Amino acid sequence: MYLTRFLWIFLCSTKFVLGEIDFNRDIRPILSDKCFSCHGPDEHGRKADLRLDIESEAKSDDLMAIIAGNPDESEMIYRIHSDDEDELMPPPEIGKPLTKKEKQILEQWIKEGAVWADHWAYVPPVDHPTPEIKDMQWQTHWIDPFALSDIEKRNFRPAKEADPVTLVRRLHFDLTGLPPAPEVVQSFASDPSDKSYSRLIEDLLDSPHFGERLATYWLDLVRYADTVGYHGDQPHNISPYRDWVIQAFNNNMPFDQFTREQLAGDLLPGSTTQQKVASGYNRLLQTTHEGGLQLKEYDAIYAADRVRNVSEVWMGATVGCAQCHDHKYDPYTIKDHYALASFFADLGDRGFNGNSLPTKRPPEIQIFTPEQQAKIDQLTEEIAQALPQEIIPQWNALENNHTEFSSQLRKARNNRKDRWKKKLAELEPKYLELTDQATIDRYRALVGKKKKVENQGIWTMVSRAVKPRTMRVLPRGNWMDESGPVVLPSVPEFLGSIQTDNKLLTRLDLANWLTDTEKGIGLFNARVLANRIWYLLFGRGLAPDLTDFGGQGTPPNHPELLDRLALSLVKKNWDLKAFIGDILLSKTYRQSTLPPAGEFSFQVARRLPAEFVRDNTLAISGLLVPTIGGPSVKPLQPAGYYRHLNFPQRTYEADKGEALGRRGLYVHWQRQFLHPMLKAFDAPSREECSAERPQSNTPLAALVLLNDPTFLEAAKFFAKKITSEGGSSVEERLSYAFQHAVSRPPDTFEQKTLAALLEIKEPTTETDWTPVARAVLNLAETNLRR
Amino acid sequence: MNPSLLANAINRRAFLAGSGLCLGSAALNSLFARDVAKPNFLLPKAKAKRVIFLCMAGGPSHLETFDYKPKLDELHGQPMPESFTKGQPIAQLQGKELKVQGHLTKFKKYGQGEQYVSDYLPWTAKMADDISIVRSMVTEQINHDPAHTFMNTGTAISGRPSMGAWVNYGLGSEAEDLPGFVVMTSVGGRNPQPIASRQWSAGFLPSKFQGVEFNSTGDPVHYVRNPKGVSASHQKKLVDAITALDRHRNQAINDPETDTRIAAYEMAFKMQSSVPDLMDTSGEPQHILDMYGAVPGDGSYASNCLLARKLAEKGVRFIHLYHRGWDHHGGLEKYMGQCCQLTDKPTWALIQDLKQRGMLDDTLVVWGGEFGRTPMYQGKGEIGRDHHIKGFSMWMAGGGTKRGFGYGETDELGYHAIKDKVHVHDMHATMLHLLGIKHEFFTVKHQGLDWKLTGVDHSHVIKDLIA
Repeated sequence: MYLTRFLWIFLCSTKFVLGEIDFNRDIRPILSDKCFSCHGPDEHGRKADLRLDIESEAKSDDLMAIIAGNPDESEMIYRIHSDDEDELMPPPEIGKPLTKKEKQILEQWIKEGAVWADHWAYVPPVDHPTPEIKDMQWQTHWIDPFALSDIEKRNFRPAKEADPVTLVRRLHFDLTGLPPAPEVVQSFASDPSDKSYSRLIEDLLDSPHFGERLATYWLDLVRYADTVGYHGDQPHNISPYRDWVIQAFNNNMPFDQFTREQLAGDLLPGSTTQQKVASGYNRLLQTTHEGGLQLKEYDAIYAADRVRNVSEVWMGATVGCAQCHDHKYDPYTIKDHYALASFFADLGDRGFNGNSLPTKRPPEIQIFTPEQQAKIDQLTEEIAQALPQEIIPQWNALENNHTEFSSQLRKARNNRKDRWKKKLAELEPKYLELTDQATIDRYRALVGKKKKVENQGIWTMVSRAVKPRTMRVLPRGNWMDESGPVVLPSVPEFLGSIQTDNKLLTRLDLANWLTDTEKGIGLFNARVLANRIWYLLFGRGLAPDLTDFGGQGTPPNHPELLDRLALSLVKKNWDLKAFIGDILLSKTYRQSTLPPAGEFSFQVARRLPAEFVRDNTLAISGLLVPTIGGPSVKPLQPAGYYRHLNFPQRTYEADKGEALGRRGLYVHWQRQFLHPMLKAFDAPSREECSAERPQSNTPLAALVLLNDPTFLEAAKFFAKKITSEGGSSVEERLSYAFQHAVSRPPDTFEQKTLAALLEIKEPTTETDWTPVARAVLNLAETNLRR
Repeated sequence: MNPSLLANAINRRAFLAGSGLCLGSAALNSLFARDVAKPNFLLPKAKAKRVIFLCMAGGPSHLETFDYKPKLDELHGQPMPESFTKGQPIAQLQGKELKVQGHLTKFKKYGQGEQYVSDYLPWTAKMADDISIVRSMVTEQINHDPAHTFMNTGTAISGRPSMGAWVNYGLGSEAEDLPGFVVMTSVGGRNPQPIASRQWSAGFLPSKFQGVEFNSTGDPVHYVRNPKGVSASHQKKLVDAITALDRHRNQAINDPETDTRIAAYEMAFKMQSSVPDLMDTSGEPQHILDMYGAVPGDGSYASNCLLARKLAEKGVRFIHLYHRGWDHHGGLEKYMGQCCQLTDKPTWALIQDLKQRGMLDDTLVVWGGEFGRTPMYQGKGEIGRDHHIKGFSMWMAGGGTKRGFGYGETDELGYHAIKDKVHVHDMHATMLHLLGIKHEFFTVKHQGLDWKLTGVDHSHVIKDLIA
């Protein structure tokens, strides 16, 4: 592994040895990091009227900053070498000196003709020809030659295929986030042919847990959480959105449609309930319910939040940086920022709605399970039949009065109540004029029944367009400054425009533009998505920076492969299952994470994400409840953890029974106080978009696996399983425990070490075996995806 | 700064994409600390080694603590002159009549430095010559949650590291079996405002730099106690077995993270005894307990101050105490009385205790809220004051700051800081400077930008505050 890393760094840092300078790979990162903040896109910060982000200006005859082919005459080269502190570039006070190597590269580049290229992420992906490779075995899958050619160029060999047990575990964790059942491991290990490998992939892509696995990642990106985030951090109604995401992945909804429904599900013609649920995406941002908030301040905060998220999620861009000024490194202007924000100006998401639990954030709609819906439909039908048709108009008139008076009665103060009670009583004889008491009673019973079912529905926030508020550019991001120009919805100028026919653009236009590969930036965004999926399957992106494809992001290490993947995604019409399934068939995916010296692997071993650490333990122990979807659940949690919450104060009540065995992605996501287990294993608070989780390794995480009651409970349950199903001898049982946790039998050392935990000679009970169960569940290997 | 030196600490991504200088470092890194040769953000010498930040959460009134304005009493009850308030952000008083509210207490001058301190703070008054009072603080956020976030991270946008995480990232920790950034809270006063764990988040820094909350009731750290029925010796046996098995298997799978993990398990086991021991103050001599007014295990601010001293002795780099109860929109007199009664003496005791142990010289203590309170009247219940961000007071003590010193001024009604304004970023810059960090070079790359605790605009070290 050390060697792999060494090699990886070597591959990334020795690019210059290869000779040819590539502008995007070698030059732009230097210019961007060291020069653009004063000589870049931001008009206000610009010095000496010099731009180095635009070729014609950088090479203009006026300033002679860069004279192609002639470093000695180029002002830039003179300045970067100057001994005079006043002349030296970058100025020493900025604290970003050029390294010797960077100076050499700039010089060499100018000498070679200062060849310029557009930024790699702003040009469409190219259908690069398959590179020549030596190892013919690597020619069967189209991805492999691209991966191999770089390795071969450096005289390395590709890492071999991982062993079947590792592969079957890898596929399960990558596609479902759950460990394989021992039978599945055994069956694949006994026939690890290409055919059974493909069948395994098909099965896993069809698994209902596939949607859960991808949703776990998507929810990080869109910052899905169960609470509002600011101040009192009250719960809000949104879990049906999470379930929609899971189902969308399970149903393999094409990514362009997936995009449309989230950004603009409410605007689609004939919008279905589920599409409205999807439009809950626009409501996922953090909101405040703090008294004394200034509405206009939060209008600005929410607008900026949405711009940050939509640009990071779909474009891999940091348009959020243009909130106060033109972007320092990328061609986004401050106007672009507010014009993008304008798309969301039709969402009347404003201000303070009190401190109820859950808080009320209209518009919300109610969602019913199919069973509930069937019951409602049936009751509606029965109610319609309950009265003679001819009396219905008069009946409805009475009902309207009844509703009105009842509502008045509820609102009335003490001494006024009598008035409304009297009015209601006066209505009764009028009903009897229409029909007999039995019919009335029957009708009312049905209505009561229907209401009862309706009350069981879950609420969820949705988008609903209102008259858009006026959106202005806020100079320096200051919401109190109203001097900026009014802007209408439009896309960042340098990326083109959307045909409007003089109509106001909507969120739907934006969604279409984001994925339209001809008139929009779908081809660019395909790269962003392809790179993230690659990261999920390999452990690192082909472009290492998953959220910044701009000038400050690190350019891709394998740009040709990334281009081809993006095109493949588009050619497959954004079919994610097909796209993923295809990658899994490559040899590159199947590489071992343990290459010996001289070999290189694209695969990186990594600890399971927080939710899967939980799921894995529950699955191994047999406690997992694999139900899909539903309201969020509350596992056991240390007492008093919510004591800093207020408005209102809260005590956490853990769920009981089955809810305690639900998967991690259903755990109540309290933004301010995320469950300590999830937090210890690096799950993000979801206040902002996160495309890549850190992988920490702390004592706090160790304490969770050792002492969290959920994990202890699982260990006890596992111990019970070991004693009841694991055979009779100590050896058989140890083997059973190991097979379930790490899919292999223990070796002699492992047997001996575990057996030493059994305190008595003839261990029989669950209690005797609990230390062994705890040890096995705590192992690094148990929680590792290799 | 030299990115190759930092790459090591940032994260795996930077590690892999950055440079070749950090090979194998993951396993060698201390679990809470970080070892870096000598990055270029370090000054040749540091005056302070650690920080104890006493956050009076809710926003104490500067007009009832340190900022005496005779004119305020003179205009009491009259409409607030519009020249002060026009175009200014306002919280709960939006659209309300704005009236001047005179001081609700008396002020006297104390110490050789002749610093004004109010009658609410008799113990602080006694130590007027130990502290430097800043009366010209300004912040940018007028609501509690974002104002705390701003005070702690230098921005109101979530997801950035808090100052304790920054400081640990920059300097590492000297504590062997404790986190380098510890947070403790207490409650008492009016309507305790919520406080989010975001306030001690590591943001985009590695999570080992995040603040760890030590609880005064229940488990001092989550899951630090053995499960019921498991003795320390059983737990030890288990941890030994886990680490032995991991070590054994790692000979075959060779994952460097596993080495770190083994160390994490060993440290976790040590913490299982070191943390409860530390949190137990019953072994302190009675006169020390009395000095603070602490009763072991009561979860009070007094106990937290005593624990802060113990943590400081153990080498914890950043100790952050929150006392929730200072949001005095109404009943200000009553609640100031409560809050000061709970915090004034323990704060004094902490300073004296550090002093008598020779630790005040290298411990920077900072006292203050997320903002101050309006010179205008608010009447939620009895007389109170609304949130105020254009001028308020904080103080610093020890760690190389001046003693018995006053800095900055607000206008005649205590509204705007008019002389020697100290922005939150300037406070951060000064704190970092005392810790031996050049704030303008103390950056971390995230999403392509070089982030600083002290923000984008030019921030200043307040040299006048430094002894």
